Amino acid sequence: MFIFEQLFIFFQQIYMLMTNPINVLILFGAVLLGIIFGAMPGLTATLGVALLATLTYGMDTSTSLIALLSIYVGAIYGGSYASILINIPGTAAAAATALDGYPLACQGKAGKALGLTTTASAIGTFIGMLFVITMAPLISAFALNFTSFEFFLLAFFGIIISGTLTSHDLAYKGWIAGFLGLFMACVGRDQLQFYPRFTFGLYELDGGLEVVPVLIGAFGIPQIIQVLKDKVVSREAKRFQRILPEFSEIFRHSKDIIRSSLIGVGIGAIPGIGEDIAGWVSYGAAKNSSKHPERFGKGEVSGVISAETANNSCIGGAMIPLLSLGVPGSPPAAMLLGALMLHGIQPGPMLTFDHPLFIFQVAAILLLASFAMWITGMLLVKQVIKVLRIPPPVFMPIIAVLCIIGSYSLGLRIFNLYLMVPVGILAYFLTEMEYPIAPLVIGVILGPMADANLRRALMVSKGSFLPMFTRPVSLILILVILLMVVSQISWFKILTKRISNKMFSRKVNKDIS
Amino acid sequence: MKKKELRKADFITSVLLLLFSGWIIMETLKMPMKDTFGGVQNVWYVSPALFPLIISIFIMVLGAVLLIHSIKTGGAKYFLDNFSVRYKGLSEKNIRFIGILLALFSFVYLNVPRIDFFISVILFLTYFISVFYFDNESLLRKLTLFYFIGSIIFIILFAFGISKFLNSYYQYFTDILALFFYLSYIIYNWINIKSGNIFKKRFIVSLIVSLAVPLILCPTFRYFLLVPLPKEGLIIQIMHNIYYLIK
Repeated sequence: MFIFEQLFIFFQQIYMLMTNPINVLILFGAVLLGIIFGAMPGLTATLGVALLATLTYGMDTSTSLIALLSIYVGAIYGGSYASILINIPGTAAAAATALDGYPLACQGKAGKALGLTTTASAIGTFIGMLFVITMAPLISAFALNFTSFEFFLLAFFGIIISGTLTSHDLAYKGWIAGFLGLFMACVGRDQLQFYPRFTFGLYELDGGLEVVPVLIGAFGIPQIIQVLKDKVVSREAKRFQRILPEFSEIFRHSKDIIRSSLIGVGIGAIPGIGEDIAGWVSYGAAKNSSKHPERFGKGEVSGVISAETANNSCIGGAMIPLLSLGVPGSPPAAMLLGALMLHGIQPGPMLTFDHPLFIFQVAAILLLASFAMWITGMLLVKQVIKVLRIPPPVFMPIIAVLCIIGSYSLGLRIFNLYLMVPVGILAYFLTEMEYPIAPLVIGVILGPMADANLRRALMVSKGSFLPMFTRPVSLILILVILLMVVSQISWFKILTKRISNKMFSRKVNKDIS
Repeated sequence: MKKKELRKADFITSVLLLLFSGWIIMETLKMPMKDTFGGVQNVWYVSPALFPLIISIFIMVLGAVLLIHSIKTGGAKYFLDNFSVRYKGLSEKNIRFIGILLALFSFVYLNVPRIDFFISVILFLTYFISVFYFDNESLLRKLTLFYFIGSIIFIILFAFGISKFLNSYYQYFTDILALFFYLSYIIYNWINIKSGNIFKKRFIVSLIVSLAVPLILCPTFRYFLLVPLPKEGLIIQIMHNIYYLIK
């Protein structure tokens, strides 16, 4: 009975969203815009969500949510266009797609590759949506038992795990970025006593750093600098006749689809880990489980399907911790969190009480966005790829103007711009030195939560840290954090390597005997 | 970044991080730990200093770990061996970087708060698009220098109150000066690209785009999203007049 009731609410949400023609228009428009953003090398899904967050600020929450989720879904899918047609990933999420997508295009099968990615992405988004609707309420209900210590540790856990997994160089560079983000969150009057911290006497800083301009700066400015400094050039796209949905091929690879969806959702649910990692892990898993791994990189269909299913199902995965714990699962989800906060919605365990229909609404929009994406992809691909001809030096300055006017329009504060540019330049230098930006952003977002909850928890325990070790969830979080920290120490790495080598050699010996 | 360069950068960053964490600790120690603030008697665990203090300790420890790693991997040695203050000239990449920063800084800190938003945008876009779209180092250097000099003149105008004095005679005087700068940039550009047809084509594209963007953006934000623009001067006033005339 309960399931039917939930299903009824879900379909009711779909009906309510679809009966408003403006919503339908925004749905398709935002998906198309997302595909364009994803297709153009240099523009990212996060930047798309960021810019649209500023434009939809004045709209009601459901309409702006449709716009933001649709652009997110569209952009993750749109990245595959450039990957397949010009061998430059439109977004980092589609990097793995290029490995087999471009060889397929070179074989004259660009239409087939695009058909596969369109259907696989739609299925991925759909499966991700199923997990949102089933998992998010469960985790929310579980998180209701969390006390302040758990929320404090959750913020730390978010930073440490995203720092560890997104850092290309040293894991602790990711942690440093996270702590810098936490420091940035300390700027302004503190939540409990309103004491001004690090404000330098500037009244504009009393309210703290505004999250959205900081995020636009952190994601937008480095992108603009990198593309223009490194001379990213536009290339001639491979030609193709028409694209077909490729259902039979998709059906033949249903195993890949299921595995990739699960990988995508799982990776998406880890705080701060984006669609790019989901794509790579899924691609690797498909290659390892394939009977013909030698075909990968030469135009293997399952490579394309795996990468694209995973990166789109990751969207649903990223929504799970966002909605249930208030911790963003990916950089675009972080941006989405900023946008939701602008609309007065605070995701977290209380979301199901404050806005009981919100999770259903998100799931309904994801479902509609996956349909809209599939239809737009099938019908407009030939028109959309024309944007690949626009040279980056022409569109990047326009993006800069949009970032600037967008940041200003939130609160009509020129101070937001004064803040956005230095944050962007800092993020650029950090990226150049291989510090990941996702933990920094997570730090900025989760900082206030960590600060207030730590002090609240200590207030209750009269300054004792003991409850942190006596509560099971917080103890698990502490152990996971410690494990991740210790796993970066060289002797631990050597020890684990030795143990795994021993186990492996024993297995080999057994097999031989 | 190459590995050696990366380790050198790590060495510099780690030192900066240690200094930065030291500064945070100094600042947090000034915050009320046990004293009263706003009538509230503090205890250490509710103090506003607690969280920044924890963060600073983590940053300090991680900075120290990074420092040790950079020393072990030769980053410190590479930094000390290559430490020189000799001027080696600016590479094209560096000029491009300076060009980007010049465009962003002049737009955000100089033009947006003081010059009509429409003019600020066309000035920014014309420079930003043309200078990178030409993809020519010599033009990049010349145009960046020209734009830099123009920006310096505007800084002088604003810093010494000359703009206020001029605006007291005619309220849009600064906007007219900005338009004059825009026109002079176009003329200077045209003189420099006289010989190349491809450059001419690209310059025309940049002019069209730089005009089209504010033509779409300004009315959209002002009349559709109801966002007052940062500075509404000469052109926005004309836009208002036309809008209300039509309405």
